[in-house]
Amino acid sequence: MQFWDRRRIRLEEEIQDHIERETEDNIRSGMSLVEAREAAQKKFGNTLLAVERSREIWGGLRVEYFLKDLRYALRSLRRAPGYATAVVLTLALGLGSVATILAIADSVLLRPVPLPHPRQLVMIYGKTDQAGTWEDLSYRQIETLRRDSHSFSGIAAYLTMVKAVGTPDGARVALYAAITPNFFRMLGVPAKMGRLLTSADANRPVVLVSDEFWQERLHGDPHVLGSSVQISGTPRTIVGVLPANLDLPFVRGGPFVYAPISLEAKHKDLLFSSSALALARLKPGVSPSQALAEARSLLVHDQDRNGADGQRLTIEPLTHFISGSLERPLLALLGGVGILLLIACANAANLQIARATERLAEMEVRSALGASFPRLLQQLLVESLVISMAGASVGGGVAVAATAAIRGAYAERFARFDEIGVHPAVLAALALLAVMAGLLGSLAPALRIRRTTAVVRTQRSITTRNRASGALVIFQVALTCILLVTCGLFVRTMHALEQVPVGFDPHHVTTLVLMPLDSNQPPATLRQTDTLLLARFQTLPGVEAATMQTRIPFSDYGFSLSGTTDVSGRAFEKNDVASYTVVSSSFLQASGIQLLRGRGFEAQDDGDGAIVVLVNQAFVRRFLPGRNPLGVTLRMHRDPGDKDSDLPVRGNMTVIGVVQNEIQGPLGSAFDPMVYLDDLQLPRDSSFLGLYGIASQFAIRSRLPEGVLDKEIRATLKQIAPDMAEMQLQPMEKGIAASLEERRLALRLVSGFGAMALLLAAIGIYGLLAYTVTLRRKEIGIRMALGSSRTGVARLVLKQAGRTVLWGVIPGIAGAWAAEHTVRSFLFGVQALDPLAVGSAAIMLALTAGMAAAIPAWNAARVDPMEVLRIE
Amino acid sequence: MSTREQYVAVDLLPGTLDLLILQTLLLGPCHGHAIACSIELRSEEVLRVGHGSLYPALQRLLKLKLIAAEDGISENNRKARFYRLTDKGRKTLHVETSKWHLFSKAIARILSPASPETR
Repeated sequence: MQFWDRRRIRLEEEIQDHIERETEDNIRSGMSLVEAREAAQKKFGNTLLAVERSREIWGGLRVEYFLKDLRYALRSLRRAPGYATAVVLTLALGLGSVATILAIADSVLLRPVPLPHPRQLVMIYGKTDQAGTWEDLSYRQIETLRRDSHSFSGIAAYLTMVKAVGTPDGARVALYAAITPNFFRMLGVPAKMGRLLTSADANRPVVLVSDEFWQERLHGDPHVLGSSVQISGTPRTIVGVLPANLDLPFVRGGPFVYAPISLEAKHKDLLFSSSALALARLKPGVSPSQALAEARSLLVHDQDRNGADGQRLTIEPLTHFISGSLERPLLALLGGVGILLLIACANAANLQIARATERLAEMEVRSALGASFPRLLQQLLVESLVISMAGASVGGGVAVAATAAIRGAYAERFARFDEIGVHPAVLAALALLAVMAGLLGSLAPALRIRRTTAVVRTQRSITTRNRASGALVIFQVALTCILLVTCGLFVRTMHALEQVPVGFDPHHVTTLVLMPLDSNQPPATLRQTDTLLLARFQTLPGVEAATMQTRIPFSDYGFSLSGTTDVSGRAFEKNDVASYTVVSSSFLQASGIQLLRGRGFEAQDDGDGAIVVLVNQAFVRRFLPGRNPLGVTLRMHRDPGDKDSDLPVRGNMTVIGVVQNEIQGPLGSAFDPMVYLDDLQLPRDSSFLGLYGIASQFAIRSRLPEGVLDKEIRATLKQIAPDMAEMQLQPMEKGIAASLEERRLALRLVSGFGAMALLLAAIGIYGLLAYTVTLRRKEIGIRMALGSSRTGVARLVLKQAGRTVLWGVIPGIAGAWAAEHTVRSFLFGVQALDPLAVGSAAIMLALTAGMAAAIPAWNAARVDPMEVLRIE
Repeated sequence: MSTREQYVAVDLLPGTLDLLILQTLLLGPCHGHAIACSIELRSEEVLRVGHGSLYPALQRLLKLKLIAAEDGISENNRKARFYRLTDKGRKTLHVETSKWHLFSKAIARILSPASPETR
């Protein structure tokens, strides 16, 4: 400002000097002083114009005008605080929510994992089907790739599980990963303390611990190296501590211990079957597809039954493997907030149109005084940009706060959520969106001003309407309708899921998961403990029934065996796979599962006779359609070359009963064909018994209050099984609720969007109608003077509201139908155009519009015709 | 609307006015009033709208670095702002003058009695 002012003042002085000289000349030629001055001024012409033209040539004028406009904009916004707050908050809402989701998507999906050359890191696994379940590679396959492949600079293998880890504080359950010694070296993760594993460590009892384990369990002791921890009863020496916040598939923050596995090791144990997750680093310049082609050619002849089928081998970038499952939900959310932003922009534009109309008189005066249209446009644009930038700043603040809250709440639950932050790229995108919103916001009022200032307003129109704002509100209603219908679909999904027959009675059932602190005990001992515990649970006062099950629904620790099965009277096919679960005899009473045919396990079943089993409906449908399932015998299929010890159950299994399908995984998933084996009948050498070394699971049915029962159970544990760690003790209904939590979160988000959209739409409709009533005041007055009743006038306003909703809902429903395709994978049990969802969305919109229209309608009805006509 | 029309009129002038200013300055540094008088002597038409239009033209020439300005003391001991031709201005004047001769001949054929005196 200073510089421009100085330059201007100097020019003005120069011009003044010019005129004085001219005056002196004139005096010299004989004029009087007054005449001379007048003549000089006349000769010079318009002083102001000369200065203005000069300033235009200086060019800084544009900036100067801009700053002036900025000051003017700030001043005029201060004069209309209500308007300014409304627009800024509207935009802050839209921009803030978009920035939040963008920040999450950017941090989780786009940013490479924080490891050296992260794009070279890939996961290698066998993809079994569309649902995304995968097969690990067998040790032999990993070894083959490591030996013969030229695509990788390194291949590491690992598998994770839960184990009891003893420290000086006592034994507690921790996360355990068996890794190949090269694992961290290949990833490029250095040790925070001590050293990483070397190939010499393959068969040594050494262990690395995660930073969290070191902090939580070892109290951050700096002299921890060389001390030992007990892993499932075996002592191992700590040689290194790893840095915090490692984020790998199945290895996310938490108390982790890492022990070496050796690929050559032969595990007899069924559950530690010799296969693992393979993680590899590509050589520089090798693409994943090249690596895949080579790996397939190497493994195509390898028919290792423990490993993945060479044909189905997949190589996927690590980043994608870690957070790929979040891609679709995040994109869907981005769509949701995008719609919200559009609604907010439409609202802001509408508010600006209304304000521009109020200021038409001002604009006309400015235009008459010589302001060109581009100049007026610039002023509008600056005002609009000031508003949208203010909105973006508030929105940015909202995003920073929201991402911090989300990071705090979900860092543990979702991969890479601990890395969420608002990065500069997101801020740049936010600024860009704000500028676009500003441009859009000033466009409509500018067009309106152009129309009105370009033509001389000779005639005074009685009825004034504004098509642009009407269209914007219809657009808003349509977008809101999309969000509301989608929200309705989610609500319906939730209901449908809660109505899914689970196949058993989950009420008053408490689940208990235990883990032996020392898994080296013989399975028979552990089994004995379990049997003893079960017997005690059954006799606890207030307990109706109790059962032991290797796989309890909605438990994170369930184990079942997928086994190829021969069914008598049926030719074996390659994919004849059933899930085998071991239960105790009291299974039927305790789970409340319904017996459809035959009988349950009975006391006389235990012994050395033929094994009797129960199967579920899905099993009958799959393997025994149209046959009487009772009496059918099953055998675990024996592949050529299999030894007796490879089969968990060698003898015949006779079906004695059919039970209802019992849901296992998340609600809404398909039922597996299941075979239930009685624990007491399992042969002593069955590899199934290895399960006891991992975890024991109980379901206890009781009507006692949660606290009382928990106390009783814990007392029993202390007495009978002091060397078992309690991993989970919770009512089963809690587990079911937890399994729905992700969907509930989605529902909460979508309904949040829906509510916000509804609010914005209500403001939009209200604004439009209030503004229309102001514009049509004269018309309304004349109508009333001509005999229209007050209700008639109010109806006029309500009709407009109705039309707006109607015109908005029709494209809105079409939009919702399209939107359903993008969220279909989150839905269950509803159709795209679910009449209930669509109907309630329409009714909600109509009600909202009615409420929003009430005040303008009331105002219209209160118009005093005499007053209006007097003004005329 | 009046300002807009004027702006258009001024817009048509620069070729001539700029050229006349440069020619005036060829004789030596001058202040604004002196330039105006000198131009007026040669062509009354150019400054018809007033001496005021001289100043935007001076700013334009300054911006193009064809002339330079400095503060000095005028003949009767008064402070004044003097304009002088730069080397670039001198060169441009040469080119522009030859262009102008062609143009003025063409104009002269159409308009009589138009006799823009040039050197």
